[in-house]
Amino acid sequence: MTEATFSSGRILTAGLLALALGGCITSRVEDAREGITGIEAGESIVILAKSYHLGNETEDKYISCIEDALSRGSKGLRVIPHKQFVDSLFPWFEPRTAPAETKGLPKLMQRPGVAERIAEQNVRYIIWLDGDTDRVAGGGSLSCAAGPGGGGCFGFAWWQNDADYNAAVWDLNGLESAGSVTADVSGTSFLPALVVPIPLIARARAAACKGLADQLRTFIVDDPEV
Amino acid sequence: MAGCGANVTLDPVTIPAPLIDPMPLSVAIRIPAEFEHYVHEDEVLGREKWRIDLGRSNAALFSQLFEFMFDDVTILGPDDDASTLPIDALVEPSIDAFEFSVPSQSKTESYAVWIRYRLKIYDSAGDMYANWPLSAYGKSEQFGLTGDEPLKRAAILAMRDAAALMIMNLDKSTAISALKDRPAATLASGRSAGAASEPAPGEQAAREQKSQLPKRREVTLPPPGPAAGPAVLSMEPNENDTRDSVPEGSTDD
Repeated sequence: MTEATFSSGRILTAGLLALALGGCITSRVEDAREGITGIEAGESIVILAKSYHLGNETEDKYISCIEDALSRGSKGLRVIPHKQFVDSLFPWFEPRTAPAETKGLPKLMQRPGVAERIAEQNVRYIIWLDGDTDRVAGGGSLSCAAGPGGGGCFGFAWWQNDADYNAAVWDLNGLESAGSVTADVSGTSFLPALVVPIPLIARARAAACKGLADQLRTFIVDDPEV
Repeated sequence: MAGCGANVTLDPVTIPAPLIDPMPLSVAIRIPAEFEHYVHEDEVLGREKWRIDLGRSNAALFSQLFEFMFDDVTILGPDDDASTLPIDALVEPSIDAFEFSVPSQSKTESYAVWIRYRLKIYDSAGDMYANWPLSAYGKSEQFGLTGDEPLKRAAILAMRDAAALMIMNLDKSTAISALKDRPAATLASGRSAGAASEPAPGEQAAREQKSQLPKRREVTLPPPGPAAGPAVLSMEPNENDTRDSVPEGSTDD
């Protein structure tokens, strides 16, 4: 076996290992219901981030991930893209002007054209996302070197990401809160390297997206027995 | 690259048609030259040199916004004379300050832009009627390889924020709607009646500014009536009122 083939094989093996193995993830998803939910055929939902004027830092990627997850599949919900919704109701869902509480909804619906525009899009629920993913800890050391004969890395590094998100569900039928769903996910990633680094990545944000979206779908579609 | 600063040039901004009823006013907007070609240069942490050229974006934003907000709008260049126009008000926007932050400063993954605008509103006689400073804010998370696009996005969001603020508060803060078909002389008499007992601190500054006003429109003045001045003074009081009897610098937000 030539050195090049051996090297390629080693990298391939490391890649497969990295795919097969992942970091450690702990996840908790909960909901708190305040009213009876349910959604009719043709009704839609919209996912929005709470205002950054209030210090919220929910990532655009996370909103898109939740939108995709909720609209995908045979039981997918009808999701209005958030940018389209915000533009169609300009300027009443801008970071400065969006209602912070359901108490502001009746006044908002009385503004010229607002109720009509929402009705045109048949929006039943507005879901407000709050939260973000942060790196909360990390350590270890890793060094890499390269020369004419090749290169390599040696060492061990780790880091922990926490993804904490809250989704507040507003029912536009009654202009009231239907409840909320929270996802708290902690993921620890590892990067051991013995010549070739093998990343064992814990995708905390992706796990929080899947967990929150699954729970949201159940929350909205299912009508629990009282 | 983000670490070395950048040259950022904004394209003209467009805003969606707002869901509002336009005010029944005939308004001219004068775009000063420095407003139409605003460039901000800064050095972040003594290393990154940034040059942000807002270009025509502000002029485009204000032109569109005012077209949506008022029944009749005339756009004027810096040297155009408003005195011959049959208008209720002349609005002159300017930028008092532009600030931004990049991730290397804020230790976050966000780019942020603050723009402090000022709207000066003149009545049909050319007298300054209101002077409203407003601060707008936009924030964008990091994306792409360089800081150009996130900073552009943050600037556009700040302009959009300014548009939302003006739609919400322009009339509350300036009482511009009271200028509808308002004879100029009655405004003057009402103002002097209101200011007679105790001149406001901003009055002197406003008077000084009158020397720099655009050319006045000559109008035939009806005799002062009892409803003249108090039309302004009896407007619903607002803590954010920045009409010219209020000291400059009081902010709306």
